[in-house]
Order: sequence, then C-alpha cells, then structure tokens
Amino acid sequence: MSGAYRYLTRLDEYSILVLGLDGSGKTTLLEKLKHTYNGVPGMDPAKIQPTVGVNMAKIRIQKCLLKFLDLGGQSDLRSIWESYFEDAHAILYVVDASNAKRMDEAKSVLLWLTRVAELDGIPILVLANKQDTTDIQQVAQVKEMINSIADCLDTRDVRVMGGSGIQGTGVCEAVDWLFSRIMENKK
Amino acid sequence: MGGYFSKLFNQLVFGDKEVRILILGLDGAGKTTILYRMQIGDVVSTIPTIGFNVETVTYKNIKFQVWDLGGQTNIRPYWRCYYANTDAVIYVVDSSDRDRIGTSRDELAAMLNEEELRESVLLVFANKQDMKGAMSAAEVSEALGLPRLKNRQWGIYKTSALKGEGLDEGLDWLVNAIKGT
Repeated sequence: MSGAYRYLTRLDEYSILVLGLDGSGKTTLLEKLKHTYNGVPGMDPAKIQPTVGVNMAKIRIQKCLLKFLDLGGQSDLRSIWESYFEDAHAILYVVDASNAKRMDEAKSVLLWLTRVAELDGIPILVLANKQDTTDIQQVAQVKEMINSIADCLDTRDVRVMGGSGIQGTGVCEAVDWLFSRIMENKK
Repeated sequence: MGGYFSKLFNQLVFGDKEVRILILGLDGAGKTTILYRMQIGDVVSTIPTIGFNVETVTYKNIKFQVWDLGGQTNIRPYWRCYYANTDAVIYVVDSSDRDRIGTSRDELAAMLNEEELRESVLLVFANKQDMKGAMSAAEVSEALGLPRLKNRQWGIYKTSALKGEGLDEGLDWLVNAIKGT
C-alpha cells in the first residue's frame, strides 16, 4: 500500500551542486533558498560558520524536487566535491563579486569543473554574489572572467547572474533558470 | 554555558513533536562528557535487561540518548529499538586514536545503513582536539568516508569536550539542519 502511495506521489528528483570558493556565500544563499521556498526561518548569516560537510535544501517546483547540495569550499575540502559529481544535474557556481583578489582563483576552480568528464554538458549558473556590499565588482567583470574561458565551456548552457544571498535578490531567477535548463537538458 | 545550549535547543521546541537525537561512537570518544557539557538536564543512566547501557537526557520534547558502538555483537539487534524516528545522529570520534579510526568508520557505515536512520542528519564531532597529534576535521572526514555519503546532510566540527570548545558551533549547525529538513 505504502509502495503504491509512494509511487503515485513520487517526484522527479534533481541534484544541483552549489560550489565555489570558501567565503563566497554558498551556505547563506542556501539558507535564503530554504527561507524563500520552504518558509523555514533560516540561519542568521552572522552565525554561519565555514562549511565542512554538506548542507542540503530541497525545494519543490511543479512535479520536481530540486535538491541543492552546498559543499564546503575550502581548498582542502574540494576533493569531497568529486564524489558528488556523477549525480549532478546542474551547477550553481557562486562567486564573491566583491572580492577582486580571488577572481583568478574562482576562475581556475571553475575551469577545473568544466574539464571534469562526469560534469560534461550540464548547465552552469554563475552567480555573481554579494551584490549587497559596497565597492563591488560589477557583474560585468564576472562575465568578463567567464568570457575568458568561453572556449572551455563548449556548447553547454552557461549564464552569469548577479544576486545577493543576504538580501535574496536574484535567488528566484537563479532557481527558475536552473529548473528550465535541467528540463531542457533532459530532453 | 548551559544557558546557551538550552536557548539553542529551544528552537526545536514546537508542538508535541518529539525530537530524538542519538549521540554515538566508540567507547572513550567523549560522548558522555559532551552530554554533561550541554548542561540541559540530568543524565539518567539505565541498564535495561537486554544489557547495554543507555544514558538519556530529556530537555522539553528533545531526547538525547547515548550508547557505545563496537564490540558486543550479540546485543546489536536491540540497538534498532532506539533508531526509529531519529532526527539526528551526533557521531563522536576520538581524533587522537588513529588505531581505531577504521573501526569507527565501519561502525558508522553499518549504522547509517539502517533504514530507520535514512532521513536523519549527521553531525560528527572530531573530538579530543586538545590531545597532541589529533587529526584535523578534514583528515577525520576522509578516514570516516564521509565524502562518500550521498543523500544525507552532514557536517563535521573540531571539538574538545574537555575544554568545552567547538560544541556550540556544531550544535548550532545541527539545530538549523534539523529545522530545515
């Protein structure tokens, strides 16, 4: 009985990896997602510690369950990412747009991701985050960074968006884009 | 300190829903010390007839239960009685005990295979950071095989239960993870 019930109410599940350098704001963004879509209060951004492990947010869109996996970004933890690659349907790559000093590092990590065979062809959304702080590097500059590696992106869907995990701007747009690309990619 | 943790756990108090949190690990990892460190209630130690020692702290609707994993193969089936409806597992590791980290990994893997624990969140305390030569959080996570955990929310924090360090950050994360799932 419960098997039949489970079958009828089953949702298609898709995994989205939330990746990026440490301190780019992945967990804060995830908390905002949980708050916006699931109504849970979410953690105070000031209390969020660097992630060592995996945070998860599941949100429902139509008949699909999008599972966001926020993986710790410190350099010695990036090897953990690899074990999540094979199940990924999309990547949400978070860049701290206010930190010009680490733009090259953000670029080289993204470049590494584009060369991973298991991730071949899956959509990547680059979120130029922290558009809430003053003295920000414009989205345009993150776009420039992406353009410089454009030939490595092949034919996959890539888009750059500005946003703020703290204020929540761009969060819904990001989810909509990821959802539509995943559906598109499935065909 | 005790006030901090009761305030923290108050966030999990809603309605009549019972929240169950297991604190597990090999013997001598520091589980009971952590339980006392939280100072949120009296630790009640019971030795049921089936023969394994379970320590319990109840705070409002939240129940913490502690027992040792490892050894005692004949009583293992009874552990299952405690797994149902578990919201979170706090897994405590002695980071200075390199000899037994493999055993700790096997016990963890066996436990997480239990159907009843499918939905529970995992918080690992890489404990005994006050000891010389203690493994880092990254080393412990690698040794425990945490990166291979799919479909589970997990976090690892360095702690010294003896000094009371690191517990608040880890438990903050845990409370939030339980709320969010």
